[in-house]
Amino acid sequence: MSATQTFLLELHCEEIPARFLDPLTRDFSAAFTTWANGQGLAVTNLEAFYSPRKLAWRGAGLPASQPNQIETQVGPPQRMCVDEAGKPTIQGEKFAEKWGVPFSAVRFEQPAGKKEPCAVVTLTKQGRPTAELLQEALPGLIASLHVPKAMRWGHSQFEFVRPIRNILCLFGEQVVPITVDGVTATNTTWGHRLFHRQHSEPIRIATPAAYEAALEAAGVVVSLEARRTRIAQQLDQLAAEVGGRVVADAELLDTLAEIVEFPKIVRGDFPAAFLELPKEVLVTSLREHQKSFCIEKLDGTDLLPFFLTAANRVDDPAGFVKAGNEWVLKARLYDARFFFAEDRKHPLSDRLEKLQALTFQRELGSYHAKTGRVVALVKTLATRLSQDEAHVNRALEAARMAKCDLRTLMVGEFPELQGIMGGEYLKHEGAHEEVWKAVKEHYRPIGADDAIPGTALGCLLSLCDKLDTVVGCFAVGLIPSGSKDPLALRRAGQGIVRILWDQGWPLTPADLIQASLNTVGAKATKPTAETTEALLAFFRDRVAYQLEMAGYAGSVRRSALATGWADLADLKARCEALSAFAEDARFASLAQSAKRIGNILKDEMPGDAFDAAVLQDASETALAERLETLEATDRQVTLLTALADLAQPLEAFFNAVMVKCEDPALRAARLSLLHRLRQAFLRVADFSLWQ
Amino acid sequence: MHIQELILRLQRFWADRGCLIGQPYDLEKGAGTMNPLTFFGALGSKPWNVAYVEPSRRPADGRYGENPFRVYKHLQFQVILKPSPAKVQDLYIESLEALGIDLSKHDLRFEEDNWESPSLGAWGVGWQVVLDGMEISQFTYFQQVGGLDCRPVSAELTYGIERICMFLGGYDNIFDLVHGEVKTDDGVFPVTYGQMRQREEFELSAYSFEHADLDLHRTLFEAFEKEGWRLLKDHGHFLSAYEQALKMSHTFNVLDARGAVSTTERPGIIKRVRDLACACAKAYLEHEEGVATPVAADAKGGAQ
Repeated sequence: MSATQTFLLELHCEEIPARFLDPLTRDFSAAFTTWANGQGLAVTNLEAFYSPRKLAWRGAGLPASQPNQIETQVGPPQRMCVDEAGKPTIQGEKFAEKWGVPFSAVRFEQPAGKKEPCAVVTLTKQGRPTAELLQEALPGLIASLHVPKAMRWGHSQFEFVRPIRNILCLFGEQVVPITVDGVTATNTTWGHRLFHRQHSEPIRIATPAAYEAALEAAGVVVSLEARRTRIAQQLDQLAAEVGGRVVADAELLDTLAEIVEFPKIVRGDFPAAFLELPKEVLVTSLREHQKSFCIEKLDGTDLLPFFLTAANRVDDPAGFVKAGNEWVLKARLYDARFFFAEDRKHPLSDRLEKLQALTFQRELGSYHAKTGRVVALVKTLATRLSQDEAHVNRALEAARMAKCDLRTLMVGEFPELQGIMGGEYLKHEGAHEEVWKAVKEHYRPIGADDAIPGTALGCLLSLCDKLDTVVGCFAVGLIPSGSKDPLALRRAGQGIVRILWDQGWPLTPADLIQASLNTVGAKATKPTAETTEALLAFFRDRVAYQLEMAGYAGSVRRSALATGWADLADLKARCEALSAFAEDARFASLAQSAKRIGNILKDEMPGDAFDAAVLQDASETALAERLETLEATDRQVTLLTALADLAQPLEAFFNAVMVKCEDPALRAARLSLLHRLRQAFLRVADFSLWQ
Repeated sequence: MHIQELILRLQRFWADRGCLIGQPYDLEKGAGTMNPLTFFGALGSKPWNVAYVEPSRRPADGRYGENPFRVYKHLQFQVILKPSPAKVQDLYIESLEALGIDLSKHDLRFEEDNWESPSLGAWGVGWQVVLDGMEISQFTYFQQVGGLDCRPVSAELTYGIERICMFLGGYDNIFDLVHGEVKTDDGVFPVTYGQMRQREEFELSAYSFEHADLDLHRTLFEAFEKEGWRLLKDHGHFLSAYEQALKMSHTFNVLDARGAVSTTERPGIIKRVRDLACACAKAYLEHEEGVATPVAADAKGGAQ
């Protein structure tokens, strides 16, 4: 076997939209690996690279040729291939002919699974040179890449994400001259546009290993990771230079790394007068309009009048990049300040009536109607949770104001500031802190990584708003299925569960569903029973996911969830208690016994009472003695300790005793004993699901 | 740089690279794409390179001449290259250099921005071209125009004249831009954009936000539509019918700026403009090439 070779493919395109870079490189890597495996060509370490103008892959460990493939073909039984005189029959000769071998090459053996010896030939399929296989396969693999928004260009009939202008394709040092839409691969490519202002010739890549270094010399850092690291370092350094720190935004960091080929971070400043705008407005405006980071004071409070943005070049020799970005940013901030001033000319509450013209959902009506339902829900739940009338009134006030900012100029410009602006405007109007904070945070948690609102009132408002969305949509038949969840109801449901989980309120999902269905009322188009059933199943899934997110072991989750999830506080306590025993070997034994008990009781209906005097064996009287303490124990941990201690006695019991014995009285007593033990277990968990 | 110098340089540059220099079309329109030089030029198989300035009206963007950045009417410099050349990005970059932008000192990026005109049944993919953080051009590969596939594909380059001028000169107010200089026996008089246009901005904004007769515009919209279909159906005249579609589009924009079109009504009205524009495109292609739709080939057929 000759030494292995490395393969390198680069598609050099016009600027590819950042959002497609990662999916495209992944898709090709997967398709290439599948193809290579199918050809008997194992690839070790397939790396992917991308930059705005490049998609590239490098795979090591490919053999120079496919290994020879040895195939065995089985034919008809020996008796049909050879006549009595030992001569080949017509059928025998046809078999040899079919596989292109002389009859003398046919052997007779009994293959596995056959009852008699059969004709067998062994064929050696000569492995083909890898370069030749690549040449044949790559154009098809490239063409079959799924591009969500594909385009044509010039006279091309070929569709791709953006025009392909150059192809580099190497196997070792050898060029694999594939052709895609009239572009034939060579061993050269192009570096940064600025580099080629001085160098008219393309860059030659001598070997796949030389790829990154050759491109770096031509002004392109082709590894995303390398670009991201360099950007992060510059961000930190430039922020520190002005005594601040970067307002972290992982997504923006990824974006910057994806839109430049060479990462240079430029720091600019803006007039300090703009700092009067709320921090969120500045951060959002800078991010959305200028892909820029903000710098905040080291204590994380206020912003400093600086921004950081990426340039696609090595330096900013004339300061044009800084000046240009500052100029654009100033225009943007003038706009933001205009919106902020205009919006505050009228109290936020003026927008309440205007919500009537804003549709929430066709069947469920406007945001005005939604506000009415959320207010009603908040009223129901707030009065259950609090005796303080002033607190309840503040909750109602927050609910009324929650959606008003949807009709402000600022939210019209930056939809992601919904809630935040409502809160800011209320704060400026002098609303109670509880009220404006609740409005500001009521969309949270926005995703799995986002925190729930920081105040109890915010949590209540968030819960009621999401509950109305989920229950309302289910009631009109908009139920998520499979990968389809266009209204992000699962995310909303998860938010509800997270808030309940965290706040420990005595509200069950069933209560919430009922309360919300009452407010949806006649708008529902589906029967209530059907909706409730679907919602319960939906929330059970959300609760199960919450347990997973909380980090409980599979054994804990399965067994705890099976015995009830209506009371989340109780479920949480049981999971916590069970987790302490997750690695306890006694629980494995207990699980075995629990399964056995389940099987034994399957077709039995034992009563609760039994006569302890009937019990004979020491092992069973020992169990009966413990039963009472077990049933009297309330605290989860104590109960679990007691259960763990029961593992050994239970084992002893099953070793010593035949439960379903002849004596009817004894049998009944044993069944009752097990039944009551099981009831005691089920207060915490269904141990039969432990493993 | 003066506005007129920028326009002259762009015209010279593109004329030297084999473009016809066209003229603005004398009807109100929202973008240079609506000029028949582009709308019909991008259809069919004949080679077509053209460049021209197009004054573009966006009634909703009117600010009475008071906003330093936003105006009712602005100038677009439009280039159509059919088929799109392999070095189209390089050509575009050279055109910036012809404007005196030394790219070795600036940051130039092509950021995804796909273009769509629902009222023309047209869409394409491309970028906004960003210079030092400022969007200066729109760059589009037309995929469909008038509901018909573009084969071959044209590249459309649209330069925002005022923006580029402001950016190059570091102006903070569009009305301070200098259009050019009037030289007379009495001396040299620079003329600003404000002198030429500010009063116009005021009156046109007032017209679209306050004075436009909405009933008249609704009637006009219906009348233009009827006229357009009559011209197309009874006479097979797609050019005069297309003018009616342009008039419908502008009439709609006036109504829209006044908030006289509800969100539910909107798609239906746009569709009425589109239907007429698409029918004109189809009639044009039948007239020019005797086929309604360019022959469709396998989408992925190019790879070998």
